[in-house]
Amino acid sequence: MLKSSLAPILSIIPMKPKYPVACLSLCKAFRPSSVRDNVSVNAVEPFEPPPKSYPTSAYIHLPFCRKRCRYCDFPIVALGSSSANLPDDIDDPRFLNYVQLLCREIEATKVLKSDNNSPLETVFFGGGTPSLVPPRLVSKILETLTSKFGVNSNAEISIEMDPGTFDAQKLSDLLNLGVNRVSLGVQAFQEELLKACGRAHSLKEVYEAIEIIGSCGASNWSLDLISSLPHQTSEMWKESLECAIKAEPTHVSVYDLQVEKGTKFGLLYKPGEFPLPDDTLSAEFYKMSSKTLCNTGYNHYEISSYCKKGYECQHNLTYWKNGYYHAFGLGSASHLDGVRFSRPRKMKEYASYVQNLEDGALIQHENGQKDAKDLEMDVVMLSLRTSKGLDLTSFRECFGSCLVLSLCKTFRPYIESGHVLLLDDKRRVLVIEEFWSVLSNESKIEEEVAFIRLSDPDGFLLSNELISIAFGVISP
Amino acid sequence: MGSLIRASRSRKQSNYLYILSESNTFNPILRRLNWLRSILSREFCSHPRQKDDNIADLSQYPTERIRNFSIIAHVDHGKSTLADRLLELTGTIKRGLGQPQYLDKLQVERERGITVKAQTATMFHRHNLGAPDVDNTQEAPSYLLNLIDTPGHVDFSYEVSRSLAACQGALLVVDAAQGVQAQTVANFYLAFESNLSIIPVINKIDQPTADPQRVKDQLMSMFDLDPADALLTSAKTGLGLEHVLPAVIERIPPPPGISTSNLRMLLLDSYYDEYKGVICHVAVVDGALRKGDKISSAATGQSYDVLDVGFMNPELKSTGMLFTGQVGYVVSGMRSTKEARIGDTLFLARSVVEPLPGFKPVQHMVFSGLYPADGSDFEALNSAIERLTCNDASVSVTKESSTALGLGFRCGFLGLLHMDVFHQRLEQEHGASIISTIPTVPYIFEFTDGSKMKVQNPAALTADAGKRVKKCWEPTVSATIIIPSEYVGAVITLCSDRRGEQLEYTFIDSQRVLLKYRLPLREIVVDFYNELKSITSGYASLDYEDADYQTSDLVKLDILLNGLPVDAMATIVHNLKAQRVGRELVDKLKKFIDRQMFEITIQAAIGSKIVARETISAMRKNVIAKCYGGDITRKKKLLEKQKEGKKRMKRVGSVDIPQEAFHELLKVG
Repeated sequence: MLKSSLAPILSIIPMKPKYPVACLSLCKAFRPSSVRDNVSVNAVEPFEPPPKSYPTSAYIHLPFCRKRCRYCDFPIVALGSSSANLPDDIDDPRFLNYVQLLCREIEATKVLKSDNNSPLETVFFGGGTPSLVPPRLVSKILETLTSKFGVNSNAEISIEMDPGTFDAQKLSDLLNLGVNRVSLGVQAFQEELLKACGRAHSLKEVYEAIEIIGSCGASNWSLDLISSLPHQTSEMWKESLECAIKAEPTHVSVYDLQVEKGTKFGLLYKPGEFPLPDDTLSAEFYKMSSKTLCNTGYNHYEISSYCKKGYECQHNLTYWKNGYYHAFGLGSASHLDGVRFSRPRKMKEYASYVQNLEDGALIQHENGQKDAKDLEMDVVMLSLRTSKGLDLTSFRECFGSCLVLSLCKTFRPYIESGHVLLLDDKRRVLVIEEFWSVLSNESKIEEEVAFIRLSDPDGFLLSNELISIAFGVISP
Repeated sequence: MGSLIRASRSRKQSNYLYILSESNTFNPILRRLNWLRSILSREFCSHPRQKDDNIADLSQYPTERIRNFSIIAHVDHGKSTLADRLLELTGTIKRGLGQPQYLDKLQVERERGITVKAQTATMFHRHNLGAPDVDNTQEAPSYLLNLIDTPGHVDFSYEVSRSLAACQGALLVVDAAQGVQAQTVANFYLAFESNLSIIPVINKIDQPTADPQRVKDQLMSMFDLDPADALLTSAKTGLGLEHVLPAVIERIPPPPGISTSNLRMLLLDSYYDEYKGVICHVAVVDGALRKGDKISSAATGQSYDVLDVGFMNPELKSTGMLFTGQVGYVVSGMRSTKEARIGDTLFLARSVVEPLPGFKPVQHMVFSGLYPADGSDFEALNSAIERLTCNDASVSVTKESSTALGLGFRCGFLGLLHMDVFHQRLEQEHGASIISTIPTVPYIFEFTDGSKMKVQNPAALTADAGKRVKKCWEPTVSATIIIPSEYVGAVITLCSDRRGEQLEYTFIDSQRVLLKYRLPLREIVVDFYNELKSITSGYASLDYEDADYQTSDLVKLDILLNGLPVDAMATIVHNLKAQRVGRELVDKLKKFIDRQMFEITIQAAIGSKIVARETISAMRKNVIAKCYGGDITRKKKLLEKQKEGKKRMKRVGSVDIPQEAFHELLKVG
């Protein structure tokens, strides 16, 4: 059963080993000459320039929102209601200036290595509320990207859209530009919850938005929900899930409310305390989503992501594979050449960042030295978020098999309790007796265990705990 | 000397003076600089202090012109301030130069306003004996006054008794507003038993609430001290202080030692100096001591060469000799303060003398396990403890290991305060981070096979088939409690709750009551004093002395986590209290252990009988399900923090226990 539900992922995601290649090369570049050298160097070939460690994904941050939602701590620019009064053919200067700045950043970005042969395969417009930005400005960004990096003709181009910020015309304009995936921020199907979150749209607008997406023929789209909102009840959550399923999106994202410092919610609420649901209830919500969505043909392919067969968000998969990606715009975070870098979150500072970039005053990604432990932690943290889990074959190649063994030993109680699953190369879950027998025979682990993953929903629910336990193994 | 010159060159003059004014005299380097200063001033001052040099000639002071005295008081009655004033009055320290509480050198002493280590200070004062009216003090003979500062707390009552044994008199300081308190009573009796001349000093008379007459009445009725003898002072304002030293000289007899006899000296205390090694405070009872002499210890039989000898003025002042009745320091080749037994008799090697009376080996009343908070820090803790015991030999240390906490130490202390002070010094002076197990007192268990065992660690009391406990004994104390009469009811309830037996109940005046109780030591080890203070709004004063062992119905109370006993949490309690203590321990643990991935059961058990039980349900959810737009650094930091948090916990079986849980257990009575 598990095998069949996972098989699609395996067949759909072509096994272009993105992270293994990336981490393999990185690992070779700065593998400390330590004990690990003795462990499994035979697998590592002498250093050669990696064939494809360059980025083929780009995240574009469009920070504008009508107002700030009460849970949001992203770098955004709240517009207020003033923009509505401008004539159609004149762009709000705030959009225009920002997009110009953003395009300057793209243009000033140094092309790394042999990027000329690597057109982008995913582009993701995130926000903020990207759907507020007029399509002709989106087009300008896409043109800039195309001329800088090239964009593959069948690249996945996603855009986040909020109900009430677009009509059929706007959406078809975007689709005509090549946008082929929509991520609709519904969050809840209850008017009172939308209000409580400080969302700028009504429930009616949610249904209209779903309607528009259907009528425009956007076939690849995600419906995004937030669970554990204040005053949310089981009935409400059940209703939200049912309404979501009824809308027939190809993808559903279910985010669990994180109460962040500095947000309105952060001021008002304490996690786990009324009016927020307590841990038990909010765990119930999580289990309910997993059960309901999986029963209606969605795969739970990442902690907060579900999709119909073949509709994984390719862009997000890059993240979970520890792949490289560009990022442009206010506060956005890129991962290039082993370096994670976040741009300034304030507009003024971001503008001078772009200026410096153009002046060549910034040496980008100069400090590529990251130690192996950091890389191991990144790989473990990101891959354990996915249903595929940690691919031990490539992990061993990069980091040696002794780490895998200690990971299995440390996870033992959680494997026994079913929070953590070991799988063989055919994605079959090892039964507990098999686990015990491989644990006593070290070479057998290598032979028989190909993946470690967290179980759904119990393991996923405690992923922080389990990942930090794994961190303790990597960096005691 | 060469090194001194180097030291003087390596520091700029101004810098060096600045350091002096900081006057942290405990630091050996600074002490050295101080010494340097005295040498420099002698050599380079335009007005050589001829007089000083005369005074330092100790052979000029026969016993008739020596007075050895101590100051005894309840805590906060002004003992240290009075000592400061006397040191200033005699020019031993300059007014305003020294730090307050001059003789309390440890940080913990200053913070808590207590004295832990005995100190001595030698002062010189001119006085016309029997002719107090003669003003011409220039002509008056100079007297050598030795102030022996003693610890005040009951934990150190043996040290106090040894210090008092070197004195012939004591200033009994009583707060004019608070009157006689429990420690006043205890200290008075200690001094009285040592046959000391007692000079009552009613201090803090400048306070608006001062009532010296009431205090005089109390002194009369309780100690039979003549009200006319009491001196009225305010150490703070200086009022009445001029009468103190004359009273010391006139009312306290000179030391009775015989200068022609063989050397006998009493070891008062010792400390470790990085440069000089072990420095002993001594009182020469008979004979004389000279640099180069070879001396022996009556307690250990070891012999040492006298490398340096002198007095404290108040810093080390080398004189090359000490004579009968004088008090000072000796540097010998002792390698550790463990060799310097308080109360020991030191005498010339190869001479035959009768050891001075009263020597007792150290008796440890409270034991607890000390473990590094982070298991990997064992070596660091080991060296911290080694360094600290260099200066406090009264702590016994043996290695032990616990399944829960790993490698650690079982330490024996003189009492609770001593234990607290030791913990605090480990943390303050040596930067150690520790977990302490529940303190326990030394019980005696007799088994059915006739064997007897002294139990200092509850974990040592294992269930052994065929060897059952037949009888057990626990140490008791005799406690003196003084309280305003309105609190009598509450205090009696507290004492009987702590299994106390009333020995005495007297009114010391119309408002104050003195209660005497025999209490099991175990019952006052934990939280008794805090409880007493809180039920009496802080008015109660407490003192106690060791009493005998008494038979008792004791059981070992185990704490089990998920069914596994945690050795470091076991405790020995009275059978009747086991249920309640078990309940409290379990509740505390439940409060301080966080939810974990599995359900945790916490149980308290006597043998196989469970007396209390709680469960902590499993963690439901710990996940970040949020879209990050590829920004994973924050999430990673969070998880790393979570990992570090785990590292700081103690893992017992499958349960992570935070350090605070251990700290909280200490507070359960």
